[in-house]
Amino acid sequence: MKHIYLDYNATSPVRPEVLEAMLPFYREQFGNPSSVHWAGRQVGGALEKAREQVAAFINASPAEIVFVSCGSEGDNMAIKGSLGALKEKGNHIITTTVEHPAVLETCQALEKEGFDVTYLPVDKDGQLNLDDMEKAITEKTVLISVMWANNETGNIYPIEEIGAIARKYNIRFHTDAVQAVGKVPVDVQKAKVDLLVISGHKLGAPKGVGAIYVRRGTRMTPLLHGGHQERNRRAGTQNMAGIVGLGLACEMAGAEQESYYHRVRALRDKLEDGVVALVPDIKLNGTPNRDQRLPNTLNVSFAYIEGESLLLNLDMYGIAASSGSACTSGSLEPSHVMGAMCVEVTLAHSSTRFSLGPETVPAEIDKVLEVLPATVQRLRDMSPLYNCGRTSDNCETCQTIKRI
Amino acid sequence: MPWKYSDKVLKLFMAAVKGEAGTHMGELEDADGFGEHGSIVCGDTLRFTFRVERHPTDPTRDIITQARYLTFGCTSAIAASEALCTLLEEQHKTPLEALQVTNQDLIDFLDGLPEQKIHCSVMGAEALQKAVADWAVKRGVDLTKWLPDTTPADKDEDEGRVVCNCFSVTEPYLRRKIKELGLHSIAEITNALKAGGGCTVCHHAPGGLQDLLDETWGVMPNKDFEETPASAAAHAEAELSPFRLGQQIEALITELIRPQLRGEGNNIELVDIKEHKVYCRMTGSCSQREETARAVKLRVEHQIKEHVDDRLQVIVV
Repeated sequence: MKHIYLDYNATSPVRPEVLEAMLPFYREQFGNPSSVHWAGRQVGGALEKAREQVAAFINASPAEIVFVSCGSEGDNMAIKGSLGALKEKGNHIITTTVEHPAVLETCQALEKEGFDVTYLPVDKDGQLNLDDMEKAITEKTVLISVMWANNETGNIYPIEEIGAIARKYNIRFHTDAVQAVGKVPVDVQKAKVDLLVISGHKLGAPKGVGAIYVRRGTRMTPLLHGGHQERNRRAGTQNMAGIVGLGLACEMAGAEQESYYHRVRALRDKLEDGVVALVPDIKLNGTPNRDQRLPNTLNVSFAYIEGESLLLNLDMYGIAASSGSACTSGSLEPSHVMGAMCVEVTLAHSSTRFSLGPETVPAEIDKVLEVLPATVQRLRDMSPLYNCGRTSDNCETCQTIKRI
Repeated sequence: MPWKYSDKVLKLFMAAVKGEAGTHMGELEDADGFGEHGSIVCGDTLRFTFRVERHPTDPTRDIITQARYLTFGCTSAIAASEALCTLLEEQHKTPLEALQVTNQDLIDFLDGLPEQKIHCSVMGAEALQKAVADWAVKRGVDLTKWLPDTTPADKDEDEGRVVCNCFSVTEPYLRRKIKELGLHSIAEITNALKAGGGCTVCHHAPGGLQDLLDETWGVMPNKDFEETPASAAAHAEAELSPFRLGQQIEALITELIRPQLRGEGNNIELVDIKEHKVYCRMTGSCSQREETARAVKLRVEHQIKEHVDDRLQVIVV
């Protein structure tokens, strides 16, 4: 059976060119970049080249790039490091209800330590109201943290406008851009962000490497102590192979930005149009405006059925997607993003995300459109909620479905 | 996926979804027994129906011949529904015998379920109980007469006080299931009944899950136990007189702790008990070396906390 991978927002395979570039750093050039001898000197150049590649990709200068181990570390460092350094100025953070857990749970942990956090709500399409944000700002506000694009819905947030608000009130601005980089243009100058986080494995570099952009002059307390690496910003011997891979992946993503966008967007639109045409009783999650969504992401709920059983069913056909259903996450509650958008519980349980990547081909989309409608129908036939025979006046479920 | 399903679960699920021969998806019209469990808020619902071959004179000797389900739920919910129907049809059970089918039977049939998915099997057993109760009404069988030990789902259960708001789980239902399934911790309750798996507010709230557990099984001291107002009240109620406290500790030392220590060449003697402090004298090899003495002290303290009262402290004199 041919495998069809449509879960690029979860992770992506390492690009062959990237892997090739990384290999010498395991054996031939194994040195520690902090060493003064030949072995160390051998790799110093590669480290700084990777820093330049990442910097150029987001329009930063190399000295503003700090390599970390993953996106979650970057987010933790941005938030905890900022609050640590700005203790004297205030103790209030503004973020959103749809952030990745790396931001959300970091904020929740800080609340327990006495910090104040405002979680901005989103509307039913997952969009933010920037007036709410401005109103939430107080004298004690020291950090605004809003993701560039949402991992579940693909919604792209108005980062430039948020950056302008943050500047106006002289508040530090952090954005988790893990899902955005490589998929849409990201420019730290235009967006006026102070801290921006990138994860390697979402853009064809390996897992275990990431980067954080720290605008020049941004004071931070370090998350890890114990070394002078990364200009004292992050202790620990650099993951040389990973960093070299991240650098090249960024350079390639930058060069292919436009062609990637158009190609993947065409495939996603084809999938979206197909699902809408072929499957009745569905709800699209996220903004209906496709320009304001990542070009690769489609999130859709299928009324009457549960997400995990759909995923497993698709898996039998070799199709990999993901779900906001509680049953896939190990918890009992459906995704917090669906909850924040007030998606009805049943629909949240059936929310299914297809995220395409550079290696997705048209035949794969055709296959999904062939398999999906029948699979959904079969699961609906099994569901006591489908054609339940009750009228919508006295049946809560029917009313839920009618609200789609 | 953070858990792994058994091959049996996957096989049954796929057979059901493909509608292979011998699978049981559907709903019987004019069924002899009808039962529903779960709700859409919970993320899973099962509608279960069965038909019997009626015994001409004695309804208690009716035999279940056909069982069908409609399920909204995850892979294991569908597999558990399939297991329930297969099991009943294969074994030609009477409805009264079917009442003896437990969620554990379903789990065994499925070659196990991941811990967090136990509730899928509970849902199957509950729907079955309700269907049998429905059959009993239709056939004029007085269940309490035939099976006095079973407590089929009570209608009042749906209307009782809601303990877990996230999954609308009521107090009467929780009380019955805690006993029936032998649930001893909040995690076990959540795995089996979903209750407490959402906002977690009901865990230690007054009248919440911990209180229900304590009322069912008695207060269970736990080293991670956080003292809440409710549990503090429970402590006060369960407070032992100094005499009884002394007796209990003495008995624990004689029966459990001393034999263990003797095996290691040590001994312990109870000197006094005052305000939750237990003064002991240690003799033997442990008293010679500081690290061993401390380790022994910690172990004794742990045992006393666990068996008598978690506020007790051991002091070596």
